[in-house]
Amino acid sequence: MNQITKKLFIFLTVLSITYILRPNISFAQTFDSNSYHIDFGNFNMTSGKKSSTNYSLTDTVGQNAPGRYETSGYILKAGFQYLYESGIPLSFEISNTNLNFNSLTPNIGSTVTNTLTISTPTGHGYDILAIANHPLKSLGNTIPDTKCDSGSCSESVSGVWTSNSTYGFGFNANGDGTSSYFTNSTYFRQFADNSSGETAKVLMSEPTRVKDHSALITYKINISPLQAAGTYENSINFIAVPKY
Amino acid sequence: MPNFNLTLSPAQIEFVLKPGITIIQAYDITNNSDSSIILNTEVLPWIPSGTNGSVNYNQAVSNPNIEFSLNNSNLQLGQPFTLAANSKQQLVLKIKTNSDINLSDNYYTFFVLQDQNTTTTSKDNFSQASGKIGSHLLLTISDTENPKVTSEIQSFSISPKIKDIFFQSITFEGKIKNNSDFFFKTNGKITITKNNQIIKELELNSDNVLNHHSRDIFCTDQTTCKINPPFWPGHYKVTVILDSSLNAKSYETSFYVWPISPLLFIVLVIGIIFGVRKFKSKPIPKV
Repeated sequence: MNQITKKLFIFLTVLSITYILRPNISFAQTFDSNSYHIDFGNFNMTSGKKSSTNYSLTDTVGQNAPGRYETSGYILKAGFQYLYESGIPLSFEISNTNLNFNSLTPNIGSTVTNTLTISTPTGHGYDILAIANHPLKSLGNTIPDTKCDSGSCSESVSGVWTSNSTYGFGFNANGDGTSSYFTNSTYFRQFADNSSGETAKVLMSEPTRVKDHSALITYKINISPLQAAGTYENSINFIAVPKY
Repeated sequence: MPNFNLTLSPAQIEFVLKPGITIIQAYDITNNSDSSIILNTEVLPWIPSGTNGSVNYNQAVSNPNIEFSLNNSNLQLGQPFTLAANSKQQLVLKIKTNSDINLSDNYYTFFVLQDQNTTTTSKDNFSQASGKIGSHLLLTISDTENPKVTSEIQSFSISPKIKDIFFQSITFEGKIKNNSDFFFKTNGKITITKNNQIIKELELNSDNVLNHHSRDIFCTDQTTCKINPPFWPGHYKVTVILDSSLNAKSYETSFYVWPISPLLFIVLVIGIIFGVRKFKSKPIPKV
């Protein structure tokens, strides 16, 4: 009898251990159509973007083996979190697109301003370029692009423009990322002229990621007493691209 | 025309494609302004400009073996659309490569631009500003997932020329050149050793070096590569090693750090003592 009890005890013990060590049920999911069968390895419990006053969190709970794995010649970034761009996305704002100079008075410079603001994601600086469709025009008449006080500034090179007897149209950029192009707020430059085959030129640039970096753009017109009357217009395009 | 305030995500995509492959990429465009805006889309090729990640659209030529289109059911590339105030839209870009395309890199920008076909009714002198925001596409056409690249450390310099043990950081600048048809990332490190002991290891920032172009070296988080004082005086060795997959020779150089400021201080103190003693030993002339 004792022998039978002993055998029964061993049998039940083995059975219990087998039950305890049985494989767990895998909570995967499959999708089927007429043409495809997808084994979906993850059954996510929760995911999304959460934020509070001080923190922002993106999460995916349920991802199998997430992380960065590296071996010679290969880098594996496993997990949905790698789909997100780290940090802030690329954003570009022009504060005022309607640049109204009202009426112009000879020998008195008229200015209007707006602000360019940019943010870039991790790993990217930026360039902001500008180009005008043509110089300020009214029917057949043109307000020429400024050549600044020295007579030598262009769409690529800025120069001091403070004299009331220097005529034309130009702009200054003052703020983040502009110091390589404009020494200070007295320096002006022409807009690149698309109608003359000129190409967009950089006015604001930084090599690293930025958040809400901005520059004040001052547009200036000074006309001579001989400038023909009329309503002068053009359009200016600002182009924001990340550094690759 | 309404103010321009857009967010475009992602800012850049990088793909390795086999010839004949078609892929799609979704972009989120968000209008952050309080007024609706009329937008348009275009894809333009570019070539690298300079060595700091800038691009040049003027001399670039489109590859006829790559076709771009929008996969949105209600929108085509180049077709204006309205994006309501404070709203987001997904644009799905389809990139199709022909099977006889050359195995090389192709660089493009997907632009979302403010539509300028709005007539102004101003009776004043007027400039109409408009905006355009772009996301780069770096497309490698290759038969293999990891195409072979070759590179070299084109230049490397250490400043300042005279290095003191105190007061000034030592800065490392350089350029990496890509000698292959495919872009790669600047994975590697700068190791500074003294008496065969590692003083500092600086990880290079993972920037893209495009085919047959060069790129400036930055360290982690796009910071200038530098080490800060104080330093022990003596001979330092600097080694730049790129990731083995970049097939570049390592670069070695060295520099000396001198105890200039303590020596100047000692000279100054001796000078003052000498001057004071000379002044004291000078007999006072009798009147």
